[in-house]
Amino acid sequence: MASSLFIAARFSSDLKPFVGLRQIPPEKHTPLSKSLPTPQIHRRFRISASKSRPKLSGRNLRVAVVGGGPAGGAAAETLAKGGIETFLIERKLDNCKPCGGAIPLCMVGEFDLPLDIIDRRVTKMKMISPSNVAVDIGQTLKPNEYIGMVRREVLDAYLRDRASASGASVINGLFLRMDLPQDPTAPYVLHYNSYDGKTGGVGEKLTLEVDAVIGADGANSRVAKNIGAGEYDYAIAFQERIKIPDEKMVYYENLAEMYVGDDVSPDFYGWVFPKCDHVAVGTGTVTHKGEIKKFQLATRLRAKEKISGGKIIRVEAHPIPEHPRPRRLAGRVALVGDAAGYVTKCSGEGIYFAAKSGRMCAEAIVEGSEKGKRMVEEDDLRKYLEIWDKTYWPTYKVLDVLQKVFYRSNPAREAFVEMCADEYVQKMTFDSYLYKRVVPGNPLDDLKLAVNTIGSLVRANALRREMDKINI
Amino acid sequence: MSMSVFFPSLPTVLTRLRLPQKPHLLHPFKNRLYLTLPGAAADNGPGMVSSATLEEKAEKKEGASPVDSKEKLQKEEEDSLVSNGAAANFKDPKWVGGTWDLQQFSKDGKTNWDAVIDAEVRRRKWLEDNPEASSNDKPVVFDTSIIPWWAWVKRFHLPEAERLNGRAAMIGFFMAYLVDSLTGVGLVDQMGNFFCKTLLFVAVVGVLVIRKNEDIENLKKLLEETTFYDKQWQATWQDENRSSSKKD
Repeated sequence: MASSLFIAARFSSDLKPFVGLRQIPPEKHTPLSKSLPTPQIHRRFRISASKSRPKLSGRNLRVAVVGGGPAGGAAAETLAKGGIETFLIERKLDNCKPCGGAIPLCMVGEFDLPLDIIDRRVTKMKMISPSNVAVDIGQTLKPNEYIGMVRREVLDAYLRDRASASGASVINGLFLRMDLPQDPTAPYVLHYNSYDGKTGGVGEKLTLEVDAVIGADGANSRVAKNIGAGEYDYAIAFQERIKIPDEKMVYYENLAEMYVGDDVSPDFYGWVFPKCDHVAVGTGTVTHKGEIKKFQLATRLRAKEKISGGKIIRVEAHPIPEHPRPRRLAGRVALVGDAAGYVTKCSGEGIYFAAKSGRMCAEAIVEGSEKGKRMVEEDDLRKYLEIWDKTYWPTYKVLDVLQKVFYRSNPAREAFVEMCADEYVQKMTFDSYLYKRVVPGNPLDDLKLAVNTIGSLVRANALRREMDKINI
Repeated sequence: MSMSVFFPSLPTVLTRLRLPQKPHLLHPFKNRLYLTLPGAAADNGPGMVSSATLEEKAEKKEGASPVDSKEKLQKEEEDSLVSNGAAANFKDPKWVGGTWDLQQFSKDGKTNWDAVIDAEVRRRKWLEDNPEASSNDKPVVFDTSIIPWWAWVKRFHLPEAERLNGRAAMIGFFMAYLVDSLTGVGLVDQMGNFFCKTLLFVAVVGVLVIRKNEDIENLKKLLEETTFYDKQWQATWQDENRSSSKKD
């Protein structure tokens, strides 16, 4: 009955019955009729959703973004540009986050990143199998295509500054906890330690009242804990930054290496990524976290000649989520980025997806609140989840399948490296990585690729069985 | 962490097999014994040399095991500088320029592909137990696809195929006899019956798919594994269905 009234209201453009449905106090009517959007915009909102979203009087929607990394920065910028009162809470404004630091080409375009943020353009990659078969990939890249290597402190600061310039308030503080509201219009109360204006002090305990929260505080998200989002499996990524002599650095000018093998990691890979003036050598694992130091030694051994004479300037480690949390949304709190668990399998890529999810969530809030004029509710944020899952599920699933097939065992890894030598594979891989689209290729080539993959796997596994025979 | 159930299911099987060699840093002697076995088959000389250098290297590595990683790296740098020539790399007279020299494998004018396969198996086994640094000066460029498909078929597929066909034949004969004795329907008439055809299909698929006792468990785990990631992604939607909020 209510919905039919709404439809009638739309077609007759008589707003009175619609207003009557909303149970808003009478004095709100006049501003309501003046600033109510045209019926065309209402058509976008589902019938049930707009029933209970009250108009905010005298103020815009307040949203807090907890965490000032790529996800937080992108979300805060989009919110601020959408007319929403935004608060970005970040505990360490100069945080040098442990990270691979690779961003795909599409991120530069989509987020209008200035080219000087990118320290290096990786255009070649070397995949090295357990038996040291080395395959160069990257010949199929066009001259303008590259993987950008960034310093997280530079990228994060840039995105935060842009958010600040768009109107967001950046708060230097540590989020402690938040009080959940008891009814759909009550605010969330965030408790945080403010560090503004203090040097080295413990910080002032302050509270902040907001209508919605975006949790962008990374793998150990406190926001996630507050809303009971659940746990996820995570990998430990361990990395050493090594300053190597200049003549060895020339080799890594625009080349990154990936080492696979049981010695380097039982379920991930070891890497040597070039940074601004040093290389990052690291590895990761989900299942054998206790042996990470051993894997790191093995990675260093495999790259021994290329990094010999180097000095370790920093050792860092960080958890990387393996899959999304069981609950990415509760009430008017949504998780984005690493806090939600949006790291791909196989490659462990997270920066782009963090920024993109932050932006998408913010866009959903802007749309649901009609540019900050209305209160949002859970359904509006759920739209972001819907669009996200629909857009990126194929990418995540494909990478999951690749990880399950090719990171299983040493023969699988040998087959993986063998397959990488194929030009078609390289083209498909880079296309899907750089532009985040799964492009259907030529079906005949796909068939050939499938046959070659099966062939490689069969050969590698056959050799493996023979290897076991020698042992026994 | 239920995820970890699936990954170790295969690698731990493999590590169990490799267990004697895994703590190779602590048991250099065990390794030495082990290495001479495959070495003895083809080339005694290099095999012995490399095992001696492995011992040397293993001892050096043992000495360089303090807790601080910084010291470790510097010590290893010294190690690499000192033991440069004596590093335990895979050495084999037939391994030339990062690949197998097929000329050296010729027998009666044709390449002995079985020997190539054996050599590659030995190389991979060696490297699995003694991972080596990859080198830009001496890159490995061997690709298993240079070995022609029929060599693989003859060596690996045919014996397995023989075994599976044998099983299928035994099952087939026994079941045909059993059904005939129970129902009186002869073989030709059995083949005309839909139920019998279904049973035949099930038997063939079973023989192909279940080759070892462990396969039954493995298949169940595999099935669960394929849908596990999907379930993790959809967890947030289950939550939404349970709560009473309507969604169009």
